[in-house]
Amino acid sequence: METKDPYEINILQPESVSLCRGAGGVFQGVIEGKSYDELVVFRAFPFLYTTKYISIRNLKEDEVGIVRDLEELDSESRIELEKELQFRYFLPKVLRVDSIKSKTDLWIWELQTHLGPTRISMRNLHEHMQFPGGNRIILTDTNGKRCEISDWKALDGHSRKQLSDVI
Amino acid sequence: MSILDKLPEAIRIQLPEAPLFSGKTDLHDDGTFGEQWLVIMEEEVSVWRLNQKISTWKIDQFTDARIVNGIGGGTLIADTKNGPIVLLRYTASLTSVFGFAAKLMAAVAKGEERPVASEKEFPLQCPKCRQPLPEGTQTCPNCRNNGKVIGRMLQYAKPYKLQMGIAAVMLVLTTLVELVPPYLTKIMLDDVLGPKDLSSNLLWIVLGFGATMLVMSVMQTVRGLIGVWVGSKLMGDLRGDIYKALMRLSLAFFDRRQTSQFIGRVNSDSEAMRQFMTDGIIWCAGETLRVIAIFTIMFNLDWRLTLLAMLPMPIMVFVSTKLWPMIGRRWYQQWRSIFRLNVLVGDSLQGIRVVKAFGQEKTEMSRYEGANRDVVRNNIRIEGLWQGVFPLFSLVAGTGTLLIWYYGGWSVLRSEMSLGVLMALITYLGMLLGPLQWISQMINWASQALSAADRVFEIMDTPSDVPDSLDPVVLDRVKGDVVFHNVTYGYEKHHPVLKQVSLNVKAGEMIGLVGHSGAGKSTFINLICRFYDTDEGSIHIDGIDLRNISQTDIRKQIGVVLQETFLFDGTIWENIAYSKPDATPEEVMRAAKIANAHDFIVRLPDGYDTRVGERGHKLSGGEKQRVSIARAIIHDPRILILDEATASVDTETERQIQEAISRLVKGRTTFAIAHRLSTLRNADRLVVLERGKIAEVGTHEELLTQQGAYFKLVEAQKELSKIKGVEG
Repeated sequence: METKDPYEINILQPESVSLCRGAGGVFQGVIEGKSYDELVVFRAFPFLYTTKYISIRNLKEDEVGIVRDLEELDSESRIELEKELQFRYFLPKVLRVDSIKSKTDLWIWELQTHLGPTRISMRNLHEHMQFPGGNRIILTDTNGKRCEISDWKALDGHSRKQLSDVI
Repeated sequence: MSILDKLPEAIRIQLPEAPLFSGKTDLHDDGTFGEQWLVIMEEEVSVWRLNQKISTWKIDQFTDARIVNGIGGGTLIADTKNGPIVLLRYTASLTSVFGFAAKLMAAVAKGEERPVASEKEFPLQCPKCRQPLPEGTQTCPNCRNNGKVIGRMLQYAKPYKLQMGIAAVMLVLTTLVELVPPYLTKIMLDDVLGPKDLSSNLLWIVLGFGATMLVMSVMQTVRGLIGVWVGSKLMGDLRGDIYKALMRLSLAFFDRRQTSQFIGRVNSDSEAMRQFMTDGIIWCAGETLRVIAIFTIMFNLDWRLTLLAMLPMPIMVFVSTKLWPMIGRRWYQQWRSIFRLNVLVGDSLQGIRVVKAFGQEKTEMSRYEGANRDVVRNNIRIEGLWQGVFPLFSLVAGTGTLLIWYYGGWSVLRSEMSLGVLMALITYLGMLLGPLQWISQMINWASQALSAADRVFEIMDTPSDVPDSLDPVVLDRVKGDVVFHNVTYGYEKHHPVLKQVSLNVKAGEMIGLVGHSGAGKSTFINLICRFYDTDEGSIHIDGIDLRNISQTDIRKQIGVVLQETFLFDGTIWENIAYSKPDATPEEVMRAAKIANAHDFIVRLPDGYDTRVGERGHKLSGGEKQRVSIARAIIHDPRILILDEATASVDTETERQIQEAISRLVKGRTTFAIAHRLSTLRNADRLVVLERGKIAEVGTHEELLTQQGAYFKLVEAQKELSKIKGVEG
């Protein structure tokens, strides 16, 4: 086997990647002919490219390679990788903002997300709301739980009204 | 204080014995929100949903258990001979709960000593509202009320009770005196001008007007002076307290925030609070008093007309209650946009060299423009709202005046009321308008002050991450033995930078820390200084746990020379004597001499009195470095920390600094990080860190013969210096 330049990004060829889920529910796969019991996935650009440039790493978090685009993979690999990304980057998408209440120094958000209803609370807005660009908003809870509003202008009127006071 | 949710009775009764541990997760296996329970027993582990057991495993199948943390959540995994198994998933707030569960399962599976749950392992919740409590506090911010914030603010006014009392008395008097002129008008109209009475009290009444004017202006002056005095004092106290709170906080607090924001906080937030406490409260009290007095007089003059004039009042009250939250939010928006602008300016000015070097002035300008536009927009929104509210209030109140004019006018025409009474009523009503407008001003002040107070108290209430022990061990001069025992630490708890590091360092030993950037070298050093506390494990100096030594005592024993040499605004002399202000000139010179700094300092036109720092003389990187070495020497520490002390200087300067350092390290326990491995040749032992773990320990020669991680680093650097054409 030829040795690879360790300073070169190893972009994986889609046909050399086969990902699946083990019996115990753990994400695993065969990459470039080598089988891995457990794999960890990282988004290189969690905000900019959610389905591209996925770094696949072994348990020691050494990079095995990068999947350039989820779409290039075969369907089982794609579905499992998508699922794993969703587990690892737990970022529910907000479908509706029920209410934003401010009590002394706690802001409480009641949200409907694509993973169910939830409530997040933050000590202030200026440290817990991120605007990565466009109309996206990332909300971070005091405990590190995060929710994403992918386009706040596309939400319903009620939600926009709630948001207009805090943006 | 509830630590953990109690296992539902419905599940409890289905268990044969009391569980070792039970914990509620907030996610289903497919990642959607929903409750599940993890129950750990002696023999088996099970997961329950809606009081039904959905899966179960025998613990003896497990070889290990661990949590794998993602972003915003994580997974609890058990390792078995047949591969890993996902037990459940959770969101980030429960990381510590399941981290403990994993440790417990691993201990049970391996038959090791079981961990004991400490309160620190679990997220705290307010027993009343189920909101998570901010780390380290006992009071729930949600269940705290505005009243308490105001009360706490008022504590600052306490030392000035007397002055504020005098101001209040003045205020009462002014208010009462103010009410006299309209009454004099009434007398003037009804008794002098109306009857055309020439015998005449005219002179006396005019004199009365004059006297009230005089008394009023004198009292206003005195009150104003007291206000300024108390206000400035208050402001000074507040600023002092905020600064004190900032200094007390640990480094971890500042790591997470941009420092430029605090400059604004210290000044503008304390100003907002001051304004509320002096002007705000005095005005509020005064105006309330005035309103009550005016109503009493008006009712006495003609109660029916007064009731008429009051008709629009409920509308005003209603409108102001609607506006109050809106104004508060808009103020916060305005504050946030100004805050962003300040941060932007701070950032780009600090990095002005980089901006200029890359020719990015235009980008910075356009970034600024964007933020500036935001400020302008928010300013218009809040001020616009403000300007709109003001006339609206006058209009509504004005309708009251119209009613009085109309019905009062009829009464006068029908001779049911004297002209004087009508005029007095109208003047009084006009005076009422003032306080009512002030209500909105008060709202403004109060909301600004409350949000400012919130932010200020947030800083004051943030507990230090490295609290001093209540009963610290008294530390004299230490020998300098340093022991790391299974130390794990992460700047964010679920993301450890150092993992299970153990190291035994004898007094006087020099340890070189080596590794790639991000391997944990600086963290290692930060932990010795106790800038942070370990998450797990402990560090001992001379056998005493760092946490039991007061921070001032530790820092007395430790000297640091950092990569980024920071000299304070002041003279070189002051900078060298920073940690020992009572040092004699000889001591300072001796230290400078050892640091190879004496010669260049003396050659400077102002010698040791040369001003350095932001506004002073520009020293070169190497010169600054040597001054900071002198600073460490005069401190005479038992433990010395050198963090890349010779980075970014030329070879000759490096040699001089090296020389200085080799004199400095003699007889002291030293931890050195160096980019150039050659500078660590003198080290007794080298510790190679890799991804937060110790990979190798040994002397330069030993590690070279091992051909391990260190060997690779050396080879890589040789390679590099070949390219650069300088010695390795």
